[in-house]
Amino acid sequence: MTVAFHESPVIYDAIIIGAGVMGATTALFLARAGLKVALVDRQDMFRAASGVNAGTLTLHMTRAQLIPHAIRGREMWLNSAEWLGEDVGALATPGLSMAFTEAEEDLLRQRASVRQNMGAPIEIISAEKAVSIEPGVNPRLRAAAYCALDGHIPTYRVGGAYARALKEAGITLIENAPVESISSVRGQGHEIRLTGHARAIHGRRVVLSTGAWLEKMLGWFGHDISIRCLINQLVVTETLPPVMGSVLSIANGLLSLKQFANGSVLIGGGWQGEGNIRDGGTRVIPENLQGNVRLAQHVVPRLNEAQILRVWLGLESETPDAMPLIGALTPDDDAFVVGCVHSGFTSGPYMGRLLAERILGADPDLSAFNPSRFSPSSATRAQL
Amino acid sequence: MSKPDRSPVTVIGGGVAGSTAAIALSRHGLPVTLIDEQPSAGGQIFRAPSSYARQTVPPNHEFSGGDALRQKLATSNVRVRLSTRVWGLSPSLTLDLLGPDGMDQIPPSTVVVANGATERFFPFQGWTTPRITGLAGASILMRNGGTLPGQSVVVAGSGPLLFSVAHQVLEMGGKVTAIIDSGNRADWTRLGAMLTLDSSRLTQAAAWMLRLRKAGIPVHHRSFLSAAEETETGLLLTVSDMDHPERHHFYTAEAAACGYGLKPSTLITRTAGVQHRYDSLGGYLEPVTDVAGRTSHPDLYVTGDAAGIRGMAVARLRGLVTAHAVAHDRGLIPAKAYASLTRTPLRHLRRLDAVSRRMLPLMNAGRTIGARLPDDTIVCRCERVKAGTLRTAIQSGAEDLNQLKAWTRCGMGPCQGRMCEDSARALLTTACNSTPEEAGSFTARIPFFPLPLTSVTGDFSYSDIPLPKAAPL
Repeated sequence: MTVAFHESPVIYDAIIIGAGVMGATTALFLARAGLKVALVDRQDMFRAASGVNAGTLTLHMTRAQLIPHAIRGREMWLNSAEWLGEDVGALATPGLSMAFTEAEEDLLRQRASVRQNMGAPIEIISAEKAVSIEPGVNPRLRAAAYCALDGHIPTYRVGGAYARALKEAGITLIENAPVESISSVRGQGHEIRLTGHARAIHGRRVVLSTGAWLEKMLGWFGHDISIRCLINQLVVTETLPPVMGSVLSIANGLLSLKQFANGSVLIGGGWQGEGNIRDGGTRVIPENLQGNVRLAQHVVPRLNEAQILRVWLGLESETPDAMPLIGALTPDDDAFVVGCVHSGFTSGPYMGRLLAERILGADPDLSAFNPSRFSPSSATRAQL
Repeated sequence: MSKPDRSPVTVIGGGVAGSTAAIALSRHGLPVTLIDEQPSAGGQIFRAPSSYARQTVPPNHEFSGGDALRQKLATSNVRVRLSTRVWGLSPSLTLDLLGPDGMDQIPPSTVVVANGATERFFPFQGWTTPRITGLAGASILMRNGGTLPGQSVVVAGSGPLLFSVAHQVLEMGGKVTAIIDSGNRADWTRLGAMLTLDSSRLTQAAAWMLRLRKAGIPVHHRSFLSAAEETETGLLLTVSDMDHPERHHFYTAEAAACGYGLKPSTLITRTAGVQHRYDSLGGYLEPVTDVAGRTSHPDLYVTGDAAGIRGMAVARLRGLVTAHAVAHDRGLIPAKAYASLTRTPLRHLRRLDAVSRRMLPLMNAGRTIGARLPDDTIVCRCERVKAGTLRTAIQSGAEDLNQLKAWTRCGMGPCQGRMCEDSARALLTTACNSTPEEAGSFTARIPFFPLPLTSVTGDFSYSDIPLPKAAPL
């Protein structure tokens, strides 16, 4: 999509860089509050993590401290018709995390209790109970953690739904426009230069929501934060008769397994492939493909009837403490970041909305996500 | 000349081009492995017939030519791995295989891709009804299976395969109800004149035409199959006029075979990341190659129809020239020897190439059909995506093929868009008034075909799984 520029340059109230779930949600709520908003992406919208992830709604795999956010994010997905304008097909299901060895059972109990304390309705159940809830699981399991609040989304329906909502909200979408530079204009916010665009665009505020590509841009604002790029492997099977009805994982969090309405089974869990932020995911590591799929087949033995249809790799960003970055980047309160949210698809819409509320003048508690926590010198500045 | 490099070469595809290349490479003293997915080499044209077909199908050039090729391979030093499919490759050209003994890998080698062509298809109302096949599929059924698709067949689409399939139906004692060609009659006449440069093809084409005319088969030019419906008496087929879509003819037949020419198979070359271009004459994506099949990847060559559709005679010559080029690039033969070895093949190649390119517009005569499919026609059979769903997504801002795929699942199924990509591209470029280059092409993904999950997992116990350390709590 291209934009026709008028003679006098438009000054946006906010320019959001990075059109994934978080950036697009921030854009949406800012625009609905009356701000003039542009949303920019280096490629087409929703083509990175937000478009290729496993669509898991999970409290089992969310970081304990983010449980309250994940619960709110999950609610937003289930009610997407209300705030996004259309139902993206999110399905509420139970989630089972399983233990097959004594060590895994210890891990399961320990992790479940930490998450319980953060408000996740997780309980430890016996193997027999787990099999009665999910007859497809391997009966050799020792115990399972049960959570009523899990589910999944057919990820492919999300991008189009957001595109229509952004249009409806009057947001200017600028795709295939990598950001070359962001420079501060005194009292006027920022000037942003885009590859392939002769004229810069101007915004009173800028929001960085570029996921795995955040590190360099954070540096432009004096935040030296190393962003690790995970190359997550995903595997999908051809359609199968129903073999499971819940979201399945294992104690250490390295499996996500679900069956969609069309019968295909999606195997994820964050096993790593090769790649980088320049080329994307480039290559499956054969041992990791085998390990991930063996784990899935161990958990649901009937997957031995499945055919692997496709394997792909998606990028996920992670900060040094594996906690999100949400908040202001400058003392002038004119540059912000949202991203690096573990299990970010579950809580993504809520995180994006929180930042919009913060920009619009509310005071949500974002202290744990303050980007200045990694650089003591700028921490004092940002808090001014 | 630098030191000769005698490291292994892998040829993917045992059709005319691949087999010819493999034999010539081994004569240059290179260790060659030829991989083919079929139980015997030969590719599409020289596909080995079943024993039933050998008894029922009259002897023909394809049987004898294929037998000769297989004989040559058998007496060569080429290591032939049959019933083996390539399901993935890495940027450094490690090949992932699935063969009769399960999974295997070939470490990085020089790779000659000779995996041929894929039939292009445009859908119509009711095309997923039984007894509707592609032209190529119908040809394989008859030639190699010795079976008619039906006692009466409507043959539809574009390109020379139309007349070849119609001729095969007659040869096997079936009835050709009608031939529906999207091309112009005048284009065929012009091609006929051009074929005087390629006498073997001219003789064959003349024989087909004569026989079809004698049988009194109705031929509709500038027409296409627009609907099929199952009735008690067989398939009711609607034929529409390309220029006046409201004008129809109706036929009833037991079966229909429909295909719109060929396009290079590019899953492997796209995955390898070599440069491709859109050939507007052929209406397809092809890898960018020089006359010898060199690509933008120094160790990857593409030969035969995989480098652009030119037919069998060109495929054989291309295979030969590619083999000499690999030998030359490896320092096994000096420039002078390369020039003398390739002088004659290149001369023939240039002449035949010109004729074959004239055939491309005839094969691509159906190119506008995809753009005007009714909203309720299924475009992507694997994921059951209809034309109307694609149009809605395009309107929402999906302006290239990959975004369209991401938002609708069109092309995500087992066939990886082989059947739907051409229609999706036509719909997209028409709706956005954009070029095929702007529309792009579906990103190729591994595995190239569905893999049995157990072929990846094998026998294992839980403790064998190298579980990474726990995710952060």
